[in-house]
Amino acid sequence: MKNKDNNRILSAVGVVGKQVGLIVIALILATIFLAVSGYEPLAIVNGIFEGLTLDIAGTIRWATPLILAGLAICVTYKAEVFNLGVDGQLYMGAAAATAVAVNIPKSMNHVAALVLVFLAAMAAGALFAMIPALMKVYLNTNEVVSTLLLNFIAALYVEYLVTGPLRDPEAGTNLNASAILNENTWLPRISYFEPSSANIGFYIAIIVMLVLAFVFFRTAFGHEIKVVGSNPVLAKYSGMKPKKTILQVMAMSGAIAGIVGAVEVTAVQHRLLAGFNPDFGFDGIVVSLLANNNPIGVLFSGIFFGALKNGGINMERITDVPSAVTDIVTAIIFITISAKFVLPRLKRKAAGKKQASEGGK
Amino acid sequence: MAVAVEMLNISKFFPGVVANDNVSLSVGEGEILGLIGENGAGKSTMMNMLYGMMEPDLGVIKLFGKEVRIQSPNMAIKLGIGMVHQHFMLMPNLSVLQNIILGKAPTKKGLIDTKEAKEKIREIMDTYDLPVDLDEKVYQLSVGEKQRVEIIKALYREAKVLILDEPTAVLTPTETDKLLDVLRLLKSKGCAIIFITHKLREVMAITDKIVVMRKGLVTGSLDTSEANTEGLSDMMVGRKVNLEIDRKPYQPGEDVLEVKDIHALNQRGLPALNGVSFHVSRGEVVGIAGVEGNGQTELIEAVSGMLKPTGGQIIFKGQDVTARNVRQRRESGMSHIPEDRLKMGSAVNCTIRDNLILNRYYQKPYCKSGILDNKKLHALSEELCKNFDVKTPDSDYKLGTLSGGNMQKVIFAREMEADPDLLIAAQPTRGVDIGAIESIHHKIIEVRDSNRGVLLVSAELDEILSLSDRILVMYEGEIMAEFKRGEADERTIAVYMTGAKRQGGDDDEK
Repeated sequence: MKNKDNNRILSAVGVVGKQVGLIVIALILATIFLAVSGYEPLAIVNGIFEGLTLDIAGTIRWATPLILAGLAICVTYKAEVFNLGVDGQLYMGAAAATAVAVNIPKSMNHVAALVLVFLAAMAAGALFAMIPALMKVYLNTNEVVSTLLLNFIAALYVEYLVTGPLRDPEAGTNLNASAILNENTWLPRISYFEPSSANIGFYIAIIVMLVLAFVFFRTAFGHEIKVVGSNPVLAKYSGMKPKKTILQVMAMSGAIAGIVGAVEVTAVQHRLLAGFNPDFGFDGIVVSLLANNNPIGVLFSGIFFGALKNGGINMERITDVPSAVTDIVTAIIFITISAKFVLPRLKRKAAGKKQASEGGK
Repeated sequence: MAVAVEMLNISKFFPGVVANDNVSLSVGEGEILGLIGENGAGKSTMMNMLYGMMEPDLGVIKLFGKEVRIQSPNMAIKLGIGMVHQHFMLMPNLSVLQNIILGKAPTKKGLIDTKEAKEKIREIMDTYDLPVDLDEKVYQLSVGEKQRVEIIKALYREAKVLILDEPTAVLTPTETDKLLDVLRLLKSKGCAIIFITHKLREVMAITDKIVVMRKGLVTGSLDTSEANTEGLSDMMVGRKVNLEIDRKPYQPGEDVLEVKDIHALNQRGLPALNGVSFHVSRGEVVGIAGVEGNGQTELIEAVSGMLKPTGGQIIFKGQDVTARNVRQRRESGMSHIPEDRLKMGSAVNCTIRDNLILNRYYQKPYCKSGILDNKKLHALSEELCKNFDVKTPDSDYKLGTLSGGNMQKVIFAREMEADPDLLIAAQPTRGVDIGAIESIHHKIIEVRDSNRGVLLVSAELDEILSLSDRILVMYEGEIMAEFKRGEADERTIAVYMTGAKRQGGDDDEK
């Protein structure tokens, strides 16, 4: 029994070590790239370091949507469904949040107003995710394609809203945005970090993470997600309803994406802006992958990518290194994780040698 | 006769397990070696090392007298080793020709020279009597034909050593006979063959030498001429095996299952069941014999609720369950051991426990308002592992770490734990060893003797004959004949299996 626990700890340490190794490799490669291109080589490492120390507020501001987007991805990933539509769903969530918020009377209780706004965002995200989910379940459409294409529809729809029905009548001619929301629909920022826009969305992200971890590891529904993800035929044979499970995880994923939209609107921008979303959904894929699709891991990898993003922005401000360099780091991590076959192979070789020498004793 | 393969003092260690402990074997040109042993005895590990999928920790491998280190299957192929895996390694959407020449296509000016390839393959097919239509897509082939493609693939790569991993587990009796003929032919042309199986009859029929393994050790190494089946099975299992099972006298009770005029379509939308009617009573085993693909799969799926019949009724314990779903049928006392344990019966990436709790995870006391009681579930799975003799240190290991026989035990344990009134058992002993067959057969008879019903579907006529109280013969989605236990022998049934005859139809057999 003790031996087993030790093994578990060892394997957990191994997993984490591997992910940290990936990050280190990616940072080294990015540093080399910077050096070769004639920029300050340590800019990115410094940026991340600063993000995790002096400017933790900025890191948390960026980590919040990244963690939530990562969680939205990891829900569906467990059931072997690939929701590339988090971006679209979060746009819809943001639109719904705004639509509700501008219609809420100023006198309404702050908490009640926020609850309404967030519920609307979650419902909108979930409903928008239902389109590809239903198409997958009943028409056998590949969700990778359908979710991806629906992103454009959502982004353009938001653009239509902020140039048309929701446009701020007092805005200048160049600004495509809704009116500033009433203060009773603002999600509070964390006062300790003022004047940064780090907000209590971070706590919401942690709560969502805990809920998901609980659902995955401790509930019957979590067991169903796991079985549907690893063998849908087995799920059907044993009496589960794989189609229902797929609809459920897509709805959950869409709802979480909706929260991202609501947080961005109510805490950061305080209005709906066209194109406010810098592809959180796609970054969420990397966040989730780096965390091995484990919700608890998503928290940490989300913070890492938050620090990276924040570091990149700071870096651009201080040095002349473009913040796009951070995308290179993300890309390298993505590619390295995707090349899953390399590490197990090296490990197998090493293990083989080790056992051979032990066996020889 | 030169020695083709020698594996000397091979040891292989996995975390916590010694898979092979100082195992040696050798096979000469024009010789067939039978490698037998229970699942998990270490046969596959030995062959995986020979085929370069893993390297031995200790010991040497010699090919034609020369010491070699085989680091990858590619290298093994270059050295003249071919392997036909139990689960075929073919691309279903490619044609037979494309599958065979994959990675080793003859080219002319950079383009694939189909003509030359075909010629070369035709020559192989003619020499070894292995007919296959080269232009057909692989998914359209029968299991036996797929296996032929695998053998041709190996010979096309000029294999001088051929490893066959349980080749007959998936074949019908006629296909098996054909395969054995091919092996004899290969042997006469000087091919060295290693034949892994646990069917002793085949070992006795075709091999020259036999190596018996148990728990990673060689427990016997002898010439086939000196061997007998009883001695071999004792060496395999390490104790006396008893396949003759005592059963209570046949006293069928009320009907537990009644199938009335069921019609159903198969996956491709073609009629698979054309009005099947029969019943299963408490206290009896009803065996369904037939060549695979004659509607047995669809029949089981219709009864268990996975396939919606296009017509007819299914009555279970006196109630019409035709419209009920899988879970409702399971909850009312139906258990089902599926014919394909990997595709349908289990999730290899999940833990053993995850696989064991599928009938229980959502029920009290294991789950309260949707929240799992992991302690109780763990206790349940540990108990099942113990009672059903699943060989694993802990049920938290991945199911994929188990051997085929142990996986089948996990599935059996899960389905028996539900305490069913009707057990549907499809190919319950496919690909498992004698020790496991013995225990599974005993369990099936136990179900019968405790006044419950068993619907048994098996491609092994032996199994049908030895377990069933009544035997139904299926052909093209219809029941051709029904026999009581002892009324018919293998040969009589085989006639009805091929559709050559029908009871009460064109003759008055009854």
